[in-house]
Amino acid sequence: MRNISSIIGGFVRTVSLCLILSLSLSVSVFAQDDIKEGETLYKSKCTSCHALDRHLVGPALEGMSERHPDEEWLVSWIRNSQQLIQDGDEVAVQLFEENNRMVMTAFTDLSDEQIKNIIAYVDAETAGGGDEEQGDASQIAASQDKGISPWMIIGVIAIAAVAIAIVLVLNRAIQTLEKLVEANKDAIAEAAEEESDRENRFLVFAKAFVKNKKLVFFFVLMVVAILGVVGWKVMWNVGVHEGYMPVQPIKFSHQIHAGVNQIDCQYCHGGAYESRNASIPSANVCMNCHTTITGADHYDGSLSPEIAKIYKAVDYDPDTREYGDNPKPIEWVRVHNLPDFAYFNHSQHVSVANVDCETCHGPVEAMEEMYQYSPLTMKWCVECHQETSVDMDNEYYDQLIEAHEKLKKGEKMTAAMIGGLECGKCHY
Amino acid sequence: MGSNKKYWKGLEELEQTPAFVEKSKGEFSESIPVENVLNEAGLSTKTPRRDFLKTLGFGLGAVTLASCNRTPIRKAVPYIIKPEEVTPGIPNYYASSFNGRSVLVKTREGRPIALEVNADSTDINQGTDAVTAAAILDLYDMSKLQDPQLDGKKTDWGKLDTTVKKALKKANDAGKEISLVSRTVNSPSTLLAIAKLKEEFETVNHIQVDPVSYSGIIQANKESFDKAVVPTYHLEHANVVVSVAADFLGSWLDGQRHTQDYIKTRDYKSLKDGKMSRHIQFEAGLSLTGTNADVRIAVKPSEEAAVLVSLYNEITGSSQSGALSTNKKAQTAIQLAAKELKLNRGNAVVVAGSNDAQVQILVNAINAELDAYNQIIDLESYSKQYAGDDASFKKFVDDAHAGRIGAAIFVDANPAYTHYKAEEVEKAIKNIEFTVSLSDRKDETASLANAIATSCSFFESWGDASIREGFYTIVQPTINPLFNSRQIEKSLLAWAGDRETSAYDFVRKNWEENILVDSGKSWKEILQSGFFDNTPSESAAPSFSGNVTDAINKATQAAKEIAGDIELHLYEPSVMRDGHHANNAYLQEVPDPVSKVTWDNYAAINPKFAEELGVKEKGKIKIKANGYEADLPVLIQPGQAMGTISVALGYGRTKVGKAGNNVGINAYPFVSEINGNKRFTVKASAEKTAGIYELAQTQTHHTIEGRNIIRETNFQKYLEDPSSESGQFKDEHKTYDLWNKYESPGHKWVMAIDLNACTGCGSCIVACNVENNVPVVGRDEVRRRREMHWIRIDRYYTIEEDDKKYTKEHDIKNVEDFENVSVVHQPMLCQHCDHAPCETVCPVLATVHSSEGLNHMAYNRCFGTRYCANNCPYKVRRFNWFNYWNDSRFDNYLNNEFSQLMLNPDVTARSRGVMEKCSMCIQRIQAGKLEAKMENRKLEDGDIKTACQVACPANAIVFGDLNDPNSEVSKALRNERVYYVLEEINVQPNIGYMTKVRNTFEA
Repeated sequence: MRNISSIIGGFVRTVSLCLILSLSLSVSVFAQDDIKEGETLYKSKCTSCHALDRHLVGPALEGMSERHPDEEWLVSWIRNSQQLIQDGDEVAVQLFEENNRMVMTAFTDLSDEQIKNIIAYVDAETAGGGDEEQGDASQIAASQDKGISPWMIIGVIAIAAVAIAIVLVLNRAIQTLEKLVEANKDAIAEAAEEESDRENRFLVFAKAFVKNKKLVFFFVLMVVAILGVVGWKVMWNVGVHEGYMPVQPIKFSHQIHAGVNQIDCQYCHGGAYESRNASIPSANVCMNCHTTITGADHYDGSLSPEIAKIYKAVDYDPDTREYGDNPKPIEWVRVHNLPDFAYFNHSQHVSVANVDCETCHGPVEAMEEMYQYSPLTMKWCVECHQETSVDMDNEYYDQLIEAHEKLKKGEKMTAAMIGGLECGKCHY
Repeated sequence: MGSNKKYWKGLEELEQTPAFVEKSKGEFSESIPVENVLNEAGLSTKTPRRDFLKTLGFGLGAVTLASCNRTPIRKAVPYIIKPEEVTPGIPNYYASSFNGRSVLVKTREGRPIALEVNADSTDINQGTDAVTAAAILDLYDMSKLQDPQLDGKKTDWGKLDTTVKKALKKANDAGKEISLVSRTVNSPSTLLAIAKLKEEFETVNHIQVDPVSYSGIIQANKESFDKAVVPTYHLEHANVVVSVAADFLGSWLDGQRHTQDYIKTRDYKSLKDGKMSRHIQFEAGLSLTGTNADVRIAVKPSEEAAVLVSLYNEITGSSQSGALSTNKKAQTAIQLAAKELKLNRGNAVVVAGSNDAQVQILVNAINAELDAYNQIIDLESYSKQYAGDDASFKKFVDDAHAGRIGAAIFVDANPAYTHYKAEEVEKAIKNIEFTVSLSDRKDETASLANAIATSCSFFESWGDASIREGFYTIVQPTINPLFNSRQIEKSLLAWAGDRETSAYDFVRKNWEENILVDSGKSWKEILQSGFFDNTPSESAAPSFSGNVTDAINKATQAAKEIAGDIELHLYEPSVMRDGHHANNAYLQEVPDPVSKVTWDNYAAINPKFAEELGVKEKGKIKIKANGYEADLPVLIQPGQAMGTISVALGYGRTKVGKAGNNVGINAYPFVSEINGNKRFTVKASAEKTAGIYELAQTQTHHTIEGRNIIRETNFQKYLEDPSSESGQFKDEHKTYDLWNKYESPGHKWVMAIDLNACTGCGSCIVACNVENNVPVVGRDEVRRRREMHWIRIDRYYTIEEDDKKYTKEHDIKNVEDFENVSVVHQPMLCQHCDHAPCETVCPVLATVHSSEGLNHMAYNRCFGTRYCANNCPYKVRRFNWFNYWNDSRFDNYLNNEFSQLMLNPDVTARSRGVMEKCSMCIQRIQAGKLEAKMENRKLEDGDIKTACQVACPANAIVFGDLNDPNSEVSKALRNERVYYVLEEINVQPNIGYMTKVRNTFEA
């Protein structure tokens, strides 16, 4: 006869096992650091000429290790292919000819380890196609987790720990009781023989479960607690669009522009440095570069369909290189939406307080598609104002600094201390 | 403490009528019908509980469903090619001009959103008037025509031009006159365009006609000095000003210029130097100017000429007949005034509001005797604002009747409304074969015309103006025409055969060839500065050559024509003016500076005279004069001369637009004629009629329960003790605070308001509306005391009769004569108290104090308990009963797709159910601070100015940082005259007021 205590004991063991497993899993994540480094290197060094799945300037890298199983050769090829060719390596020369004698940039500054990491990344990437998305999703999830305060996590863990402890204690008590029952078995009347019937086992379990008032209480408590936590989280996040990533009319990639090509934020979003609006660049700013950069090498010599959208917006004919008179503005979808009653000024933060764009907008240079990195809640604003000290290197603040020194000598002067939390700073 | 004079805002407050007492008790004039709901639909029904649950269930479900919407997707549409000078989020200012005054147009992302004075101008450089401040709304007026029209149907410009040219050619070929009827045109470019039209069609005759004309003055100056012009007045040189029925601070000639100059000898800076001018006013109706006078004597319109004759006799020592023989009080005042005038020869001036040339000749004679032509009256750089000639328009009407006119072009003129014989004008227009109106809307005249060439506002045109000889301003467009309209000059040029020249080229060429020649200035410089000053150098005072005796005889004779039991006095109100801007909801809702009536005109009658006539407040009266009769609501007006009724012009328009149609009664038909000029006084009869009409009057809204909030002294006492009557404590005593002390280590924003400078004109109210997105609520809502103005100007009456001072309420009941009131204007806005009572009672901390001494209001936090409004001792908080910017019930005012474009994007448009109040233009404070930070420098005094301060033509409002001891406001607040309203309750307001000083005779 299976008794309740063994069931519960099994449950507890499973839970503990899960906990341990998940811990070890997070440890195993650290082992992937090599690939991570490889990814960073790949993105900064390789992507301007190579893609995994298609020919850009250079060939597709997919299946690179299978085509060239000799890793040492691959490493030296990547470090300096021209050297190999000059040395008369057959494979190298053949490869060079195959690719229209296109010279690959030498990367003499990379160590063997680093190049191997890149190869490992490319292999990992081609092996599991969905990894990238997963990575993104986990990134978003991770950033969302930032929204939960550490206290909440500690609280939940503490509740779980206490609950497990209670279950263990109760289980012990039940075991003792069962032992007593076992000892006095003779005194108790034999239960019906149907008990052994397999079909009725679940019913028996349910009956036993219902009979166990403590267990029921614990179960209900857990359900209520879980619902409460979930509800609390959902309610607090109504209207919070962290991770919001709408589909844009043009598949514009910040990763290519800000990441790969290292274009300064200010080049397109100059407003952020002088005005309340960071401003989305007008199409003529795009045309500064895209009159020459047509993306044709990625599209077999024809114009990139996305860049074609810019041309359509400004009514530009790439063949005649002339502008028409029927331009249509590009209707971007706003990613960062503040409510109308909140006043936010970019220049105050960017130019006066010298806050980096990434502080609020996240790793834009790695964003294939733009998403809302920060929650943009008032709490988030307030927390930053409480922590950030005022950039003293501004004559405007001289008087305030003097007053502050008198009152709170030595303490850092945060934005909050000079009225940065007052309603009228943002709401008027 | 302070004066124990009794001040009151309205007669109902003075008399403590039961209705007034009842209404003043509660926070809202109408109680909230909570009990009705509970009694009828709630508790007495059979199943209140089930109903309640049903409603609750439905409500909950509905709200849940409604809130389950997906967050709407918001688009961001950048420019295709961004203009270099535009940075989204940063305003651009362009120099332009309005009514000939150099102004700056503030634009955001290409939308004009406000007008400010051009402080660098060498003409008027201080503040704007209400009309200028409100002009932005005219740009976005949806009642304007959107396309040119031909025979009442939409057409295109090609067809219109062909038709007009054909008609003009026909008239020209037939040798018939082509009359071009306009308001006064002082724009050099428009005049050039008219000249070009004249070149093409030689029978073109330009006729200028003004709704309220000054052709009497022009005639008088022609006869007196052989200069047919309206002079410019430099009142800053005047130690004594005597005005006989001239509302020179309001609507008479150039009120804004007069205010700017007049205040220079009366504001706190002048008083600090121990100087103050004296102003004596004789008039029938209590005008804005009358309320500011040191001594005001009520006289009937028929006595005006006699007053001037007496003055003339006293000053020159002659004994012309026709001197004032009635009105004892006026006679004494005249003697004293004459003495003052003689003492200040060279620094004294007399002005008169009459449009009778003979009266003006007499005034010229007095002024010549007083040497006023040396410094004060300027005939060289004369005013070009009013060149209208009543006689030539009369001739036009006669000619039209006789069929001598082949075609007529109306340029921004609306004689079918503004002329006193509108029916005759209508017939005349119909008698002309072809008429075309250059107007922005289908107004009274345009609707009679065969064609309408829709004209642009000055925001959409290139142009210029010259309000006085030698001073030119430029008009530059700040937005493309919103509708299919074309500026007047372009239309005239097109009809003259020139369709190619652009307005820009036309104006620029004219300036470069005619105005800027030999000035050393380039067109670009002018475009940047906005004006060109080439004022002719002063020449010797002209010698007077008029015939005084003849003038006196004729004027006396003319006065007899209007003498009667009831004399009707028609006036141009200082805010609504001649009715041209009647569709401007901002202007309609500005309370009249004196009566505090919005959205209407009325018959103003002295309380005692009203008793005689048997009419009461909320009653109506039928006035007959000049063969015209009209029923007008009665306004009981203290200060009004006995036996007179005052009625404002500029109301009762029928074809101006949704907001202005049928607001008030048209009083133009009461205007009569004198020696060919328009006359604004007439003998009338009046009788009580049936009907009740409640005027939307704000005067007793937000009453302050008779507390001592006005401090007034006279100049003599001031000289002895500058702090006289300011109620300042001389002894130190310990005070205890319930509140924590607020530290303001950075800035401490405060304001100083000079009661002696404030004339009560109301331009601050409009400027505040425009700056802070304050909605217009309409007449009905004002009647319910729901006006939203953040700043109001309280007008207090007080009575002094001879030497009797009425200090107690029951004394005032014995007042015999309500002619003799004096007035104090007090701008009232949030006082940003350090110990703010509103903050204490807010249950959600929606209104809290800042470290810069401001009382913040977080709209998104407010949930509308209105406790704060109830607890505010100044009654300056306003509650949004509706979503005024987006509610179809308020469509006529600001709720349409175009007027939303004028919202200031830096200020939230408040939603229904929240409180609001003056923020001291916090958006400007923040912007000013940010600019300093960006430039890595300290904030300087004057970097930040509030909207009301910028708009004030009298410099009565000074704003700044109290922590900066050298700031203008710190200096002003160190003035001995400063007192704080209700300082005794220790709310520690941050706005200091300076006592009203009156330069009375007793002094």
